[in-house]
Amino acid sequence: MQYDTGRSDSYRVATVPSVEDDNLTADGQYRSRRKMPPKKKDNLDDLKQELDIDYHKISAEELYQRFQTHPENGLSHAKAKENLERDGPNALTPPKQTPEWVKFCKNLFGGFALLLWIGAILCFIAYSIQASTVEEPADDNLYLGIVLSAVVIVTGIFSYYQESKSSKIMESFKNMVPQFATVIREGEKLTLRAEDLVLGDVVEVKFGDRIPADIRIIEARNFKVDNSSLTGESEPQSRGHEYTHENPLETKNLAFFSTNAVEGTAKGVVISCGDRTVMGRIAGLASGLDTGETPIAKEIHHFIHLITGVAVFLGVTFFIIAFILGYHWLDAVIFLIGIIVANVPEGLLATVTVCLTLTAKRMASKNCLVKNLEAVETLGSTSTICSDKTGTLTQNRMTVAHMWFDNQIIEADTTEDQSGVQYDRTSPGFKALSRIATLCNRAEFKGGQEGVPILKKEVSGDASEAALLKCMELALGDVMTIRKRNKKICEIPFNSTNKFQVSIHETEDASDPRYLLVMKGAPERILERSSTIFINGKEKLMDEEMKEAFNNAYLELGGLGERVLGFCDCLLPSDKYPQGFKFNSDDVNFPLENLRFVGLMSMIDPPRAAVPDAVAKCRSAGIKVIMVTGDHPITAKAIAKSVGIISEGNETVEDIAQRLNIPVSEVNPREAKAAVVHGAELRDISSDQLDEILRYHTEIVFARTSPQQKLIIVEGCQRMGAIVAVTGDGVNDSPALKKADIGVAMGIAGSDVSKQAADMILLDDNFASIVTGVEEGRLIFDNLKKSIAYTLTSNIPEISPFLAFILCDIPLPLGTVTILCIDLGTDMVPAISLAYEHAEADIMKRPPRDPFNDKLVPAISLAYEEAESDIMKRQPRNPFTDKLVNERLISMAYGQIGMIQAAVGFFVYFVIMAENGFLPVDLFGIRKQWDSKAVNDLTDSYGQEWTYRDRKTLEFTCHTAFFISIVVVQWADLIICKTRRNSIFHQGMRNWALNFGLIFETILAAILSYTPGMDKGLRMYPLKFVWWLPALPFSLAIFLYDETRRFYLRRNPGGWLEQETYY
Amino acid sequence: MYIHQDINDVQYQYFRKPPRLSKKEALRLFLWNPKKQEVFGRTGTSWAKIGIFYTIFYGVLAALVAVCMWVFLQTLDPRIPKWQLHESLIGTNPGLGFRPLPPEDNVESTLIWYRGTNKEDFKVWTDALDEFLFPYKTPGSISGHGQNIYNCDYGQEPPRGQVCDVDIKAWAPCVQENFYNYHHSAPCIFLKLNKIFGWIPDYYRDPNNLPSNMPKDLVDHINNTAVTAPHTLNTIWVSCEGENPADLENIGPVKYYPRRGFPGYYYPYENSEGYLSPLVAVHFERPVRGIIINVECKAWAKNIKHDRADRIGSVHFELMID
Repeated sequence: MQYDTGRSDSYRVATVPSVEDDNLTADGQYRSRRKMPPKKKDNLDDLKQELDIDYHKISAEELYQRFQTHPENGLSHAKAKENLERDGPNALTPPKQTPEWVKFCKNLFGGFALLLWIGAILCFIAYSIQASTVEEPADDNLYLGIVLSAVVIVTGIFSYYQESKSSKIMESFKNMVPQFATVIREGEKLTLRAEDLVLGDVVEVKFGDRIPADIRIIEARNFKVDNSSLTGESEPQSRGHEYTHENPLETKNLAFFSTNAVEGTAKGVVISCGDRTVMGRIAGLASGLDTGETPIAKEIHHFIHLITGVAVFLGVTFFIIAFILGYHWLDAVIFLIGIIVANVPEGLLATVTVCLTLTAKRMASKNCLVKNLEAVETLGSTSTICSDKTGTLTQNRMTVAHMWFDNQIIEADTTEDQSGVQYDRTSPGFKALSRIATLCNRAEFKGGQEGVPILKKEVSGDASEAALLKCMELALGDVMTIRKRNKKICEIPFNSTNKFQVSIHETEDASDPRYLLVMKGAPERILERSSTIFINGKEKLMDEEMKEAFNNAYLELGGLGERVLGFCDCLLPSDKYPQGFKFNSDDVNFPLENLRFVGLMSMIDPPRAAVPDAVAKCRSAGIKVIMVTGDHPITAKAIAKSVGIISEGNETVEDIAQRLNIPVSEVNPREAKAAVVHGAELRDISSDQLDEILRYHTEIVFARTSPQQKLIIVEGCQRMGAIVAVTGDGVNDSPALKKADIGVAMGIAGSDVSKQAADMILLDDNFASIVTGVEEGRLIFDNLKKSIAYTLTSNIPEISPFLAFILCDIPLPLGTVTILCIDLGTDMVPAISLAYEHAEADIMKRPPRDPFNDKLVPAISLAYEEAESDIMKRQPRNPFTDKLVNERLISMAYGQIGMIQAAVGFFVYFVIMAENGFLPVDLFGIRKQWDSKAVNDLTDSYGQEWTYRDRKTLEFTCHTAFFISIVVVQWADLIICKTRRNSIFHQGMRNWALNFGLIFETILAAILSYTPGMDKGLRMYPLKFVWWLPALPFSLAIFLYDETRRFYLRRNPGGWLEQETYY
Repeated sequence: MYIHQDINDVQYQYFRKPPRLSKKEALRLFLWNPKKQEVFGRTGTSWAKIGIFYTIFYGVLAALVAVCMWVFLQTLDPRIPKWQLHESLIGTNPGLGFRPLPPEDNVESTLIWYRGTNKEDFKVWTDALDEFLFPYKTPGSISGHGQNIYNCDYGQEPPRGQVCDVDIKAWAPCVQENFYNYHHSAPCIFLKLNKIFGWIPDYYRDPNNLPSNMPKDLVDHINNTAVTAPHTLNTIWVSCEGENPADLENIGPVKYYPRRGFPGYYYPYENSEGYLSPLVAVHFERPVRGIIINVECKAWAKNIKHDRADRIGSVHFELMID
């Protein structure tokens, strides 16, 4: 078996896919990388190294010696006990969990909480100083301190609860069924729990078992393992006692922990246990990786820094100003508290959490389970998806894809729901082919699967035989009865030297005494044994022309990445082989030459139906889809082509070389948009070269990659500035899943380790769900922007009263308690409701209006714009420049809308003051007398004299009115925040959560104002109805201003207004 | 294999990481970026544009506020408050005020503290009183006073628009010339009832129907008045007492000038030009020295409720004479 390098794309690789590849270690690569971060934990680097062991190389005797064991008797109990004590149980160490109290504290002291704690502590300090100096201290500060602490604690508990709720999802996956293993110790066969296995134990494994540890095989009978979760190879690998390859993953005499035995039986010596197994190392590598912050966490931190910065800056500035203005230091402290409370959007982080939770729920209903709440948005920011092939893009199920008979290639239906092409099942060619495929086949359906669709039924036996079985079951009906009617007399099972399988049957036709010999195997071997060929119902001589036709078909199918089998048969002449002839399969007494060639059948693990569409959607959303697989390049490329990862007409360097008939080295790699990179190739290149591959090829397939290489590819993409999503199901994917910005594991096929490492789980294993994830992620990012813009706007009318209070010496227009009522009361539901906002149809993507035909005045025409969901048609956001909260959002919220809101607040404040007697001019400079309890007769503009209590009632009524007017202008703010570019007439008011929010905040405001007792509890007083009204013109002004702004935004895309105000 | 260097002809598919700058460097570039000619992250033109934008924006906003304010102010009457009594937040329960008040920078205090022997010490207080009583002494000093003055008495209420005179002579010995008696360590404190537009008192006219918590000396006084001068019963009575039992002891005898209350003909207050609040001079004749005396003065009419904590219908101050 040699690797034909000249025609690397040739069928040989495709058809004989067992052990060709020398997926050697990537040592050189790692060693050079390793010197960069030497301070990093050594054991992690150790894990990043490819596996380096020699247990498969040494002789069996040396092996027994090393472990002091015996192939027949196994370990002694004493030795086993000793080993167990030394090495610990044979189980994976669960990944380290952050203790619950640390998580809780993070929620209690993270974000704005710290700032609010400072505010609360200042409150308590101010109160205790007042309490110790004044006889009857005002309990305002104590009260505020308690409220602030309560706010922090409640929001902390809330976020903690949300977080722990989403992480509980994982618990359901942790309940693994306990594994048992058959062990020989002191010559006795024992059944032990897999955890109790130790090095040197001799274990027996049979088909259906999970390999309990890494074992060196010392005896095997037809033993095959499914390594797909470890290496990504979709086909079972046969294993035996012989040492065939330097690479431990490739050699035949090793079987690995947690892979499955699918056929045969074997006996082996345990060579490594628990965390030191190959799987354990990969799991350890995955859990040891530092994943960093999610993009949305980065954005939120950025935003918190921004707001905290503003709060601290304003607080300290005014603290100093207050001192300069000659305030008592205690007053200055109270100002500081007020400014902090006004600056911090107390409810915002809870709002963000709720928005993310809502999206997570919505995604869960679409089969995307989000483990980490913040990961909800990550898919939306994703610019590169590295997808595993097997089980993610494909069905992980060999299926007959093509047949060649009567000198033509027939396409079989590979779709999951049998909606694909149909073919003629009556031609004699098909009948002959199907008879061989049915009879020369040892696979059988497992029992108890009535009602399960044929393609989903479980089959015992070889994957390709299973594929044939299912194909035949679909084409002919009940295969088992056909087999019964054609009783099997004798068979030679498949082996790797013959590369064929033969069986002899009685024929269905009772009148025909002849026996039927059917054979299948590697096509070239079958061809060698055939002298005739069955074409269109006639037997023809196998001439050169026919051989040429065969070769073309074989090449074509092989080029599709399919595994091809040849079929031939022969009716044994009844004179030589009469009824009752004793066929002997060991000493062959029947002809295996000069048979009748019938046709070819080729199998592939076909792509899932929804994948090509999903890949196309990702493409149009500006997301680069890279395939990273452990499977062979040809298969990988074929699947990549069929799902659109390599789009039609795009060539690889090798394709160009073949087309132009020049050596590969002469092709300019820049001309090739697509690339298929072999793991062996990847091993030899530097990270710069990898960067170049990633940069210059738009369509990339990495084949035969090791888990470590997958990790490097992800790191490479991240180095390029991409936000990377990795999808995968196998253990081999888990380091990459963990390293990725978002790891997406498969819920059904996925291994536990991969689920552990992932941030998101696709419950239906459907790659198409990722598109949903991207869409939801982008939507929530947009909606969070809107939500934050909405919430931040009311900060200006909250801060400005304090500044006016200090600078203009007017009675305080808005109190801290009312601020909290806005932030934690009326603003919450509307802000959350923005999470339900539909995606904004982007009219920018539409062709410009035709001025000759479209004569509607622009203002009307935009009301008629059709909705078009564009969210999946734009590029992913640029994580470096496209921030969640940018200066434009701040400029809009603080500089523009917020200012209008502040203006309305002050207007209402002056109105109420004036209507009760204090004209605006008389308010300036009045603060000291106003706030002094000693002054019981403060004169207003009409000569009336106010007691302290009456003044305060007036002041608190002003607070309430200020609050109510903020609610009124927030109506308009909420409506303008629905869209960032489009008109509200275009977007509509169909967001019922938002409409509810509008009503809710109004009712809540009314309750706060009019409920009896609120004057004592929250210092809120009932307002005259007319005091609701002064805010209305400003509300209208906000609406009109923003509609106009967005109108010009649409009219002049990319213009100055967009650069300055489009957030 | 992939080592060609002509990067420029290839479109980048990735977002480029911005160059990493040290904090200092980033700040320097933020302050002045010579390459882009930027100050604080913007070029001159950019600053001008955004400056003009915000100037216009705030200009329009200010205009909007101004227009709204102007329209609103048109709805107000300069002499009559829009909302009165029950409608207004001032309510219908006036408080009391006292003079002299502690100086401005001690605005939170209600303590009148001086040494009777030290003229400089009590000058602060007498000066404050001088200033407060100035309009009473020189009626021409406030607009309107003098022209529409009316000589009021019980039964002679002023006609609409006219105001009653306040006779300062009747306060003797609590007069300026006498340093309001501060130098004798027997100071006078002036009380006044808070003006509430349109408020009409409901007098205690029936001596047999007085509240139980009314101080005995006031009850006696009203009984007396009912006999001697029943026409003066239309008065809002005043009482000053020590707040606590000890204060009651320490406060000593108290005299009220010109009479023990605010005559009813001053009410209602309707913001007429030249209106002066009636005053009651409370003379503490022999307060105990060297100790703080908590004094609570109350105004008595049927529609005045009292609340010590809220200081409605009453006033609180402390006296301390060393």
